Amino acid sequence: MTTETSARPAGLGAAPASRSPVAVDLENVSKVYTRRRLLGLRPGSGAARHALRNVSFKVLQGEMVGLLGPNGAGKTTLMKSVATLLKTSSGRITVYGKNVDSDPLGARRLMGLVTCDERSFYWRLTGRQNLNFFAALYGVPEKIARDRIDLLFDKLGLTSSADVPYQNYSTGMRQKMAIARGLLGDPRLVLYDEPTRSLDPLSAQTIRDWIVDNRIASPATTHLIATNQLGEAEQLCDRVLILNHGAVIADGSIGQIRDRFASRGTLVHRITCTGFSPRDIEPYPEIGLFEVRLDFTGTGATLMRVTTSETGEGLTFVLSEILGRGGSVSRCETEQMSFDEVFCSLVTGDASASGSRK
Amino acid sequence: MKLAWAFFCRDAAIAFSYRAAFFAQFLGNLLLLAILYYVGKTVGPQNLPALARYGGSFLAFLLIGVALTDCVSISLVSFAAQVREAQTTGTLEATLMSPVRLSSILIYSSLWNYFLSAVRFVLYLVPGALLYGISLRQANLLSAVVIFFLTLFCFMGIGILWAGIVLLIKRGEAIIGAMGVCVLLLGGVLFPPSLLPAWVQTLARLVPLTPALEGMRFALLRGYGLHELSGILVTLSVFSAVLLTAGIAGFNFAVHLGRKTGSLAQY
Repeated sequence: MTTETSARPAGLGAAPASRSPVAVDLENVSKVYTRRRLLGLRPGSGAARHALRNVSFKVLQGEMVGLLGPNGAGKTTLMKSVATLLKTSSGRITVYGKNVDSDPLGARRLMGLVTCDERSFYWRLTGRQNLNFFAALYGVPEKIARDRIDLLFDKLGLTSSADVPYQNYSTGMRQKMAIARGLLGDPRLVLYDEPTRSLDPLSAQTIRDWIVDNRIASPATTHLIATNQLGEAEQLCDRVLILNHGAVIADGSIGQIRDRFASRGTLVHRITCTGFSPRDIEPYPEIGLFEVRLDFTGTGATLMRVTTSETGEGLTFVLSEILGRGGSVSRCETEQMSFDEVFCSLVTGDASASGSRK
Repeated sequence: MKLAWAFFCRDAAIAFSYRAAFFAQFLGNLLLLAILYYVGKTVGPQNLPALARYGGSFLAFLLIGVALTDCVSISLVSFAAQVREAQTTGTLEATLMSPVRLSSILIYSSLWNYFLSAVRFVLYLVPGALLYGISLRQANLLSAVVIFFLTLFCFMGIGILWAGIVLLIKRGEAIIGAMGVCVLLLGGVLFPPSLLPAWVQTLARLVPLTPALEGMRFALLRGYGLHELSGILVTLSVFSAVLLTAGIAGFNFAVHLGRKTGSLAQY
């Protein structure tokens, strides 16, 4: 798979050079879950579920790479495999050269995991007590831990709540605590597992801003972020990997993936017309007319969304149908597909492709 | 040591945060002492032939049996309880992400419970000696301490192995409960094993609690030194080495399976 670097979002400084060392390297990683039997002690030969299929990619030092995919695509399995919490069925994962299977302790020393699970702290302890404990667990010397915890509380706006029991924290504060814990050991690789899940938009934006700020402050740190928020990936990531059914179906910057999809020859047009209903037109793939959809109707005007091939006669056909039936067109513009649309199209296209392969 | 202290402080802080429960456990200890006193009083002050080799006092016999069994039960259930609690509270994966060996995490997680157990051990014996007139004047403290730790190591091995099984099967309270009753029956907690049928006595020799209680009673009630207890010490040392090795190997294997099946954090 590609090792290219890509355009960084504005404000994040220089992109990691292509000569940067490889931080994370996955080679033909597969994970198959088999049904367990006999008190869970022996893997059975029952139904097997392929969570990852020959996944290969590299992440360079300093990159922030997003893992995207629908639910069940394999994002969490991939994150947990890198984090040494899950053993892969085949393939090889290294973190800064440390094999996560043969040297899990060595690999863990280089990593920090930011989970979205707010239960993963000791609720009866204060925020500071929690971080003190995890700092000791990650081997951070006491004096450094104290300073680092104070700094993290300060940066995350938690100083006034540092000595309040964790159980009294809001969801946003708990997520900030998860970030603080992930960064406590000053890791060279930070794994974020849906860092803004279940947060309100304002809190989510605060977390994202903080991740961006932190990245500017520590440009050599590598970040791997699994998220379902495509906007988040657009804002944060240099590069994204789209997973579906356990396989990587797209790898590149968001711009590259969007361009690649456009080069498949699909265009979306928005047409504003009067005296015509899009229900009068059926898709006609033979001439490159894939979809005609009503977006809005009111005060005599109709806004429709038409998906056509780049080279066919689809748009001409629609326009002539409108005019031929006595309607009039007041506006027709071709729009760039949003990344959400590209993502959905890629995932559903991949699903139908794998369906047709079956 | 710093890491062990961090675990100890964490568990102490959590325990103190439940103040009522924390102090209630000591109240329970005192009530149990009262029950033992009246059981002892029912039997009477006479020296029982079956207990002659332990000094003859039933109350002293009972008190040491119950006190050491308390520590043993901590070893049996504490590790599995820690694993289960970490699974249900969601802290297991966060802990496993640290660059610390799993066996160390497990042992450090039980330090607070062992500390409490040692406190309770003293709480059984000191009031027993002071209020119920049990004589510990002859007690050989060095022998008692050595027996105490060897007993802990034996049952630590079983407890760690059990924690590995709980990691996979998730709920096993009923099984460990049944195992505890077996230990109670065979180990000579409430009555001397010599009263059991011969074939059951053979079985009882396979339970580490049997030599442990025997040794502890000899040390505290008869003042036996390490040399006189050498046979028991060798038996307990062999039990410790075998059970600890098996426990850690079994737990590591369970973690390996848990990582393979992705079930580590499931509960």
